[in-house]
Amino acid sequence: MAEYRAPFETYKAKVVEVTIGKGDRAIKIGGENVLAFNQTFDQGDFPNSPKIALEVWDKEPYGWTPGCLEPVKDVVGDPAAWAKRCVEALGAEAIFLYLISTDPNEDDTSPEVAAETAKKVYEACGVPLIVFGTGNEEKDPLILTKVAEALSGENLLLGPVLKEDYEPIANAAKEHGHCVVAQAPIDINLQKELDVKLMRILPPERIVLDPLAPALGYGLEYGFSIFERTKHVGVIFNDQTMQMPLIANFSFEVWRQKEPKENEEMGVYWELITAITYLEAGANLLVMRHPEVYKIIKEMIAEA
Amino acid sequence: MVIIGENIHILSKKVSEALSNKDAKVIQEMAKAQAEAGVDYIDLNIGPARKNPDIMAWLVETVQEVVDLPLSLDSTNPQAVEAGLKVAKWPPLINSASGRTDSKEQMLPLATKYKCDVVISVLNDQGIPADAEARAESIMDTVTYANELGIENERIWVDPIIMPVSVDQKAVMEAMEFTKMLQDLLPGVKSTVGLSNVSNGTPKELRGILNRTYLVMLQKCGLYSAIADAFDQELMDLVKGRAPEIVELIHKVMDGEDIDADSLPPKERDYVKTAKVLMGESLYSHTWLEL
Repeated sequence: MAEYRAPFETYKAKVVEVTIGKGDRAIKIGGENVLAFNQTFDQGDFPNSPKIALEVWDKEPYGWTPGCLEPVKDVVGDPAAWAKRCVEALGAEAIFLYLISTDPNEDDTSPEVAAETAKKVYEACGVPLIVFGTGNEEKDPLILTKVAEALSGENLLLGPVLKEDYEPIANAAKEHGHCVVAQAPIDINLQKELDVKLMRILPPERIVLDPLAPALGYGLEYGFSIFERTKHVGVIFNDQTMQMPLIANFSFEVWRQKEPKENEEMGVYWELITAITYLEAGANLLVMRHPEVYKIIKEMIAEA
Repeated sequence: MVIIGENIHILSKKVSEALSNKDAKVIQEMAKAQAEAGVDYIDLNIGPARKNPDIMAWLVETVQEVVDLPLSLDSTNPQAVEAGLKVAKWPPLINSASGRTDSKEQMLPLATKYKCDVVISVLNDQGIPADAEARAESIMDTVTYANELGIENERIWVDPIIMPVSVDQKAVMEAMEFTKMLQDLLPGVKSTVGLSNVSNGTPKELRGILNRTYLVMLQKCGLYSAIADAFDQELMDLVKGRAPEIVELIHKVMDGEDIDADSLPPKERDYVKTAKVLMGESLYSHTWLEL
């Protein structure tokens, strides 16, 4: 009898490799030609393991569970010091700077001040920087173009860019050498449409996709489906408009829910399950908040 | 391909105003224009017509005065359909019944009573079936029920229910798959679709090519008829055999031939790209023609 051979799959396409940051602080994400964690079973490589960014706000955080702030609680008033601590004490591979204060409903911080904050954080942290506005389609272009200019040539990851505001932000990213996050609201057809438009301005090597990443109990299964389907379409069916790496930006989503807020232990599991789910679905870059969960996920990725 | 002109539809502002004012002239102009465009039936869609089911009788009489085509009485309200049946000069098409309990009990018996044809959709009490097999299962049940009421297969027009490609690309393929199976499942039945639904949600200027391409594809799968825009001249040309080159090109895409769309003239290129999206070869987005 012939020897049994386990079946394996080979796919015709691969995820685009995106570099964020420059010089010795650069990280790479994407580049795989298999589905997440299937390199053991199938024919292919997963050259860049998923990376994790820790969340930093540009203002004193509110509504955060104490445990999330434990290692940084003495420095949260200063985003640069906060980011530096994330890297030095926790080993963050990237910083996700959330410019929440720029929202007109928060402090309506000016583009100049926001850009100054981004610059200070970038100089202090020594790792690649992701800079996010609040999704306000009028304010974000003003903020993000200013940030792009202030850190020209540093290859930041700027986002979110939406179908309403992608042009000014993508043009600024092109001019100043940055990458962008293309965000569509849990809809694979709208994601593709935005990608097609964005690719007229930027090459795919400068684009990361954000289909939104809802938390456990609040739409996680929808998020999972879209992440998984994006990888299927890109890697298995070679759709070149859907081959960019995926960012799973769920920490804010997890910790604003009632259950994690009321019970920190439960919250830890909440973020953990959410993180693992998006990794399984194919996320290349995670945004996380709780230091303990961060450590567990980092170990899991290292061992995978 | 039998074309049922869809243009007398309650969702059209012009039609809904004409109905509430009983403005016969507007309706008659529309009916005549559709007849001139070459439709085989005229659909009279009055929606559920809860308040005034008798409007169907007025509508049927109004249209019959000027046009000799058979009519399709389109309402979910059996009272409205019966009002039209009572005054129709020629046996019309009942559009439509389904596998839902209320429809089986109230709409289907009308086809027996008035000895006319009836559209039966795959819808049932559980909703719209997910794939071709589930559609088959649902329609078998309903057609068996109809047969027991004395409605033979030849009088039944099966509607596979078309979903918008922007909502559910897979369902677009499942409906084709189901249409292919239909003659084996239920020999002798006819079939029809509400074609324009495939492009619901797609930007207006792009709807026509989706409708036209899909109809050519469904025709190849054996579709007998469609409720469609009578004034889309290109659509009429395609399904009535007056544009064989385009039809052949779409068939090649369906047969899996490797066609380089970009090497073709613009019109042919667009049809090939559209057929590929409808075959599920590439993920749908509103920008499909630009890729």
